[in-house]
Amino acid sequence: MRVPISWLSEFIELKKSSEEIAEILTLSGHEVEEVFDPYKKLGDLISVKILEVLSPEDLKEVVLCRVTDGKETFSVLTTAKDQVKPGLILALAKPGSLTFSHQKVEVKEIKKYRSEGMFLSPFEAGISEIKDALLVFPEDTPLGKSIYEILNIKEPVLEIAITPNRGDLLSIYGVARELNLICGWELKPLSFEESLLKGEPFEGEIKILEEEGCFRYIGRLFKGVKISESPFFILKRLFLCGLRPINNIVDITNYVLLELGQPLHAFDWEKISGKKILIRRAHLGEKLLMLDGVERTFTEEDLVIADSEKALVLAGIMGGEDSGVTENTQNIFLESAWFNPKWIRLSGKRHRLTTESSYRFERKVDPEGVLFGALRATELILKITEPSEISQIVDVYSRPFKSPLIEITSQKINKILGFKIEKSFIEATLKKLGKLQTEGDTFKLRPHSFRQDLEIPEDLVEEIARLYGYDRIPATFPVAELKAKASRLELQLERKIREILKGFGLFEVITYSFINPETLQKLNLSERDERLKVIELENPISSHLSVMRTSLIPGLLEVAKFNSAREVEDLSIFEVGKVFFPDTELASEFTHLAILLKGEKKLLPWEGYKRKYDLFDLKGILEELFSALSLEVEMRPYSQELFLKKGFSYDLYLSGIKIGFAGAMKNYVLESLDLKKPLFVAEIDLSKIYTLYSEVKRTYTIQKPPKFPSTFRDISFIIDKEVPYGEILSYIKGLEIPYFEKMELIALYEGPPIPEDKKSITLRFWFRSEERTLFDDEVNALQDEIAKKIFAHFKAKPR
Amino acid sequence: MKPEEIEALKEKAFKEFSEAKNLTDLESLRVKYLGKKGEITQALKSLKNLSLEEKRIFGSKINELKELLEELYQERKRVLLLEEEDREKGIDPTLPGRRPDRGALHPLTLVIEEICEIFTRLGFEIVTGPEVESDYYNFTALNIPEWHPARDMQATFYLKNGALLRTHTSPMQIRAMLEKTPPLRIIAPGKVYRCDADVRHSPMFHQVEGLMIDEKTSFSDLKGILSFFAREIFGEKTRVRFRPSYFPFTEPSVEMDISCVICEGKGCRVCSQTGWLEILGAGMVHPEVLKAVNYDTTKWQGFAFGLGVERIAMIKYEIDDIRLFFDNHLYFLESFK
Repeated sequence: MRVPISWLSEFIELKKSSEEIAEILTLSGHEVEEVFDPYKKLGDLISVKILEVLSPEDLKEVVLCRVTDGKETFSVLTTAKDQVKPGLILALAKPGSLTFSHQKVEVKEIKKYRSEGMFLSPFEAGISEIKDALLVFPEDTPLGKSIYEILNIKEPVLEIAITPNRGDLLSIYGVARELNLICGWELKPLSFEESLLKGEPFEGEIKILEEEGCFRYIGRLFKGVKISESPFFILKRLFLCGLRPINNIVDITNYVLLELGQPLHAFDWEKISGKKILIRRAHLGEKLLMLDGVERTFTEEDLVIADSEKALVLAGIMGGEDSGVTENTQNIFLESAWFNPKWIRLSGKRHRLTTESSYRFERKVDPEGVLFGALRATELILKITEPSEISQIVDVYSRPFKSPLIEITSQKINKILGFKIEKSFIEATLKKLGKLQTEGDTFKLRPHSFRQDLEIPEDLVEEIARLYGYDRIPATFPVAELKAKASRLELQLERKIREILKGFGLFEVITYSFINPETLQKLNLSERDERLKVIELENPISSHLSVMRTSLIPGLLEVAKFNSAREVEDLSIFEVGKVFFPDTELASEFTHLAILLKGEKKLLPWEGYKRKYDLFDLKGILEELFSALSLEVEMRPYSQELFLKKGFSYDLYLSGIKIGFAGAMKNYVLESLDLKKPLFVAEIDLSKIYTLYSEVKRTYTIQKPPKFPSTFRDISFIIDKEVPYGEILSYIKGLEIPYFEKMELIALYEGPPIPEDKKSITLRFWFRSEERTLFDDEVNALQDEIAKKIFAHFKAKPR
Repeated sequence: MKPEEIEALKEKAFKEFSEAKNLTDLESLRVKYLGKKGEITQALKSLKNLSLEEKRIFGSKINELKELLEELYQERKRVLLLEEEDREKGIDPTLPGRRPDRGALHPLTLVIEEICEIFTRLGFEIVTGPEVESDYYNFTALNIPEWHPARDMQATFYLKNGALLRTHTSPMQIRAMLEKTPPLRIIAPGKVYRCDADVRHSPMFHQVEGLMIDEKTSFSDLKGILSFFAREIFGEKTRVRFRPSYFPFTEPSVEMDISCVICEGKGCRVCSQTGWLEILGAGMVHPEVLKAVNYDTTKWQGFAFGLGVERIAMIKYEIDDIRLFFDNHLYFLESFK
């Protein structure tokens, strides 16, 4: 909310500078976001001197002035022919600036003549009501200077972020009242002459048909008003607060709204049929063309102000175009009301409409202020529009407001705050907030009608603490039971996984939980794939972020794309995050881990040796990760995932349950995403691991230093290329070999002189006895035996 | 051989051995003195004409000398061998090393871990919960009914299934209180979502929620714990400031500022010349919230706080654009190695 200091000072004696007031308000819970001068925000409004005035023959209405700002010269066209002459110093609005009446100044061209700015009248400069003369400065005025600096005009305005509970601060007077509470500076009371209530009998009828929606409705008729532009002081204040003027009546309603926080509405009385003002629920489907030019269709939940035939206004939010005040209006009906904040809020949300008026009604206006609003407006209307006749005030107050009685003890205050605050301070503070009754240590408060934020004892504790000063409250350490549980297994495991992968040289990324459905489409998933059953966002920020992810892969691919477009082709990254699937309520959320390797593996560049990532980099990372987690994950070759190259992929299984996949992305998919190959991905459902992990009993096989030496023997053979190494491995694992310690694959070779459909394999077998050193002969015999078995089983030949 | 001659031999040998420049020289000295035809052997041979008594005396002297020379030779050889290696022409030691791979955790993870570490030290338990939430947990149970204007403070993403993406981690207060019995101390880190996107706002960001409920936990305790936290994460010199604020689910409510870490409170661009940086919101848990989880409000009270992880990371690492976190460019990620 904008609060001009000059307006504020009309109601309270300000004893500090605007910066200090900003600080006071901020520290009292009303954050002042900015102290600014609206005049300065208009742009370049500067002093210039006319060098010469030209009247080219092809220009009729205007003359051309050559002007200087002391540095440069430029030309300005003006209609004020008679007022310009060489040597005169004037106010110029340069292109790009705004004038007081919200006119945007641009470079203009008439015929071949260019106009770079506009001379200002005192009115267009926002200084006075004079419109028909140009603003002229004395001869010795410096050129190129801001006209406001020259005139020493300063209009500091506070931009205050009012919290939603303090609707009472959405007005100049409200802020003055709050400053009085905080600083004790003298506040001018609101008072009106008794006579303002009186007038001719009201010729119409006001009826509240929906009491739940409207608690109080005040109306008054003004006849024979003169509609025109508002006087300058109103225009200026609307300008300072950022509101646009319309006509004097509408401006007065806005002026009162800003000053007192009471929204008002003015109707053209002649447009109200049957002279009836009915406050009722809208009919289902009832339509109204509103002031913003939009026709809206109401429901029975909307409250409207209607005449005997139709809805005129969406109550408390916005009026209809037909019943509004225009320059032809003669008789106006003024409304000042108190609507149910919930109704206004829900109605506004339903129609996606927020106005200065609804914003205040939602945040609770002062029920007693409804009358003040009407009277203040009456005062101004009488003064400005000179009506020939006014009616009496009609006040339909169906539900008189009663503030709650809040009871609190000093013990409770001290317990919540954690220290003892003097009783005298409590009492003095509460007295300022309403009607207080003190009985021993118990305080009973009925807050002022404008302080509807005060409802429960805790609200009073905040007021006491706030006015005492948060910084004066001690900072202590709580005394509590010394117990805290270890974090859950999931978190421990996640941390461990992150640390391990970091140790492997991978970088962690965090991507959005919402993804581009197109990226998911490009994965070429089968139609029945669960991952296509995404949860869609009702109001996504863009179509690229419109569905909840069901896989981390699209996000990682986007990261790869972003990097690839910015110099980085080689990546090794991972993410741990949630994926989301539809569920009966909310969503099923699972934590996934995904890894992406792309491009070349980092080696020492000066060794001239680089190589591309391959499948075994990914497999190795996963194997080592699972080993570190003591998980026996089976990597079954040939993944079912359609976006992976079948011959270069695995599905991952733990205890017979599929937990993920790993492999090379198909080139087809990569091309559609504009990504270079090779690119390897893996995704693992950690949620599944968590359940199994808690069941796995981790045992360690303790190995001691050997007592007797080991011996090894190599077995080399040529075997069909088609036979997977895994098959040989599991065959050997099934053999019962005496003294067997371990086996390693030490050579794998394909190519000449080995026939094309064969490969050569060398295995190294290690033997050891715990009791003695083995003899060469017996190890040789073992070697022969194993070799024979392998050769026979796989139809292999020795090499 | 006369005693003087033995002395002379000793002196000469000592001098030559100690002057030997390299192993080759040393080897020829060994041959010269200690070899089969060396001077010591010769000297011993020259004794054969002497009397038994003289043989014994001179013999032992020469043998003594021989032992000394052997020792000297070994010593000299050790020194020369060591020197020899130093004379080897090395490689270019200024070339870069062969580093093992080392990645990095995301800066937001680093900050979350640091926050969690501080609070677990204080006996807070880490809990997590769903990111897709119901209107009830995200708003209503937190004393933000449907018509409440405070809903404007949090632009909400709705899902087509009627649920929403949590706009803050505060629903975890409700979930934790329902799940546990007081007293309790929890922190809940996690992702939250709001329809906002610019240099300072990301549609997805992270918060850490904290909650402490006990019989006497007071507003002073809130100040104590949060001031401690600020000094732990931003350094001992950090000053804090508490301002009244408003959250529907706390009363009294407070916002905490820290003295600007860039200018140390003098005023700069980062703190908009105020010298202060807003860092978290907190307050005493609102009785309506305690009622929503059926806690006895006459017995239990406590405080809750919520802090923005990105905000802290941006202050801590002096990052000026929130989007950097989610672009995940490698150069950015490498900054946190």
